[in-house]
Amino acid sequence: MSMRIDVLWLIMIFSLASLFCRISGFWLMRWVRFTPRLEASLKATPLAVMVGIVAPTAVSGRPVELLALVVIVAVMRFKENDLLAAMAGMAIIAVGRWLQLAA
Amino acid sequence: MSSLEGHSFTVGGVRRGIVAAQPLALGVFIYGIAFGLVAKEAQLSIAEALTMSGLVYSSSAQLVIVNSMSNGTIPASGALLAVTATLLLLNGRYILYGAALRPWLGGLPAYQAYSTLAVLGDGNWILSMKAYEKGERDAGFVFATGFGMFIPWIGGTWIGSTAGSLITSPASLGLDFMLVAFSAAMGVGMLKGRGDLKVIAVASVASIAVHQFSPGGSAILAAGLAGGIVTWLSYGREASS
Repeated sequence: MSMRIDVLWLIMIFSLASLFCRISGFWLMRWVRFTPRLEASLKATPLAVMVGIVAPTAVSGRPVELLALVVIVAVMRFKENDLLAAMAGMAIIAVGRWLQLAA
Repeated sequence: MSSLEGHSFTVGGVRRGIVAAQPLALGVFIYGIAFGLVAKEAQLSIAEALTMSGLVYSSSAQLVIVNSMSNGTIPASGALLAVTATLLLLNGRYILYGAALRPWLGGLPAYQAYSTLAVLGDGNWILSMKAYEKGERDAGFVFATGFGMFIPWIGGTWIGSTAGSLITSPASLGLDFMLVAFSAAMGVGMLKGRGDLKVIAVASVASIAVHQFSPGGSAILAAGLAGGIVTWLSYGREASS
């Protein structure tokens, strides 16, 4: 177990940058007065972030990923269960990748 | 319950959070192993890899850092600046995540709020915001979903940097799809009405556009900002949904 001092310094710099990102948004909002309009805007961010995570995959043109997303939406429609839907999608990906590797 | 009441941090909330974190924790664990392997190949020691995972705690940022260290030596100051800028771009979404958590964590003692934010991540934030919408108000939930993914990240890093190649690649197991799968499922579960359509539209466009030249965290940040801004701009223009 060795730890080089210059690497430790490097890690310290990056950890400060990371910590800054994690706490600054919360801290800054301390000075902001919450209005219904601001609350509505912040409330919209989770859905927008989820779309942001999914969208690049959805337009990637990879058929297995696309099928998995369709299955996830379908499962959510019939039985609203996040875990079940996500696992169904994961299963499609696992099988699809396995078939691609085998082919 | 109004959104400004019920600030608490209890064992019950922690327990619910730990349970909720488990499926995603598995993916984090495998990614931890993958990072440990990459760190080992870049000739980082086990202690260095563990310290980085413990203090930086961001898979995409850590990969950028390790890739900048050829043969385990640290980059020159110019390159260092570029890596730091990339890291801020990749992790800028956490600023948005933290802002959105203000109503929930704002009434807590500072040590509870900031220790919760210290383990903030994508999966934990998404799970928490979803739970908040369903009425969860216990901040222990936010902390525990974060901490419940931090531990497997450290454990995975340790295994990857010691044991060597146990796993070929997370992608061959489909685990790179884990966060996408959960986001898609939870996003569908969150839909409430036509008012969501404009958020989905602008978030998609923003994410896909930014993804063209800067994949990962910055595309997510762009989507989140776009969704917030369009809601701000259109606020009050339609009957409240």
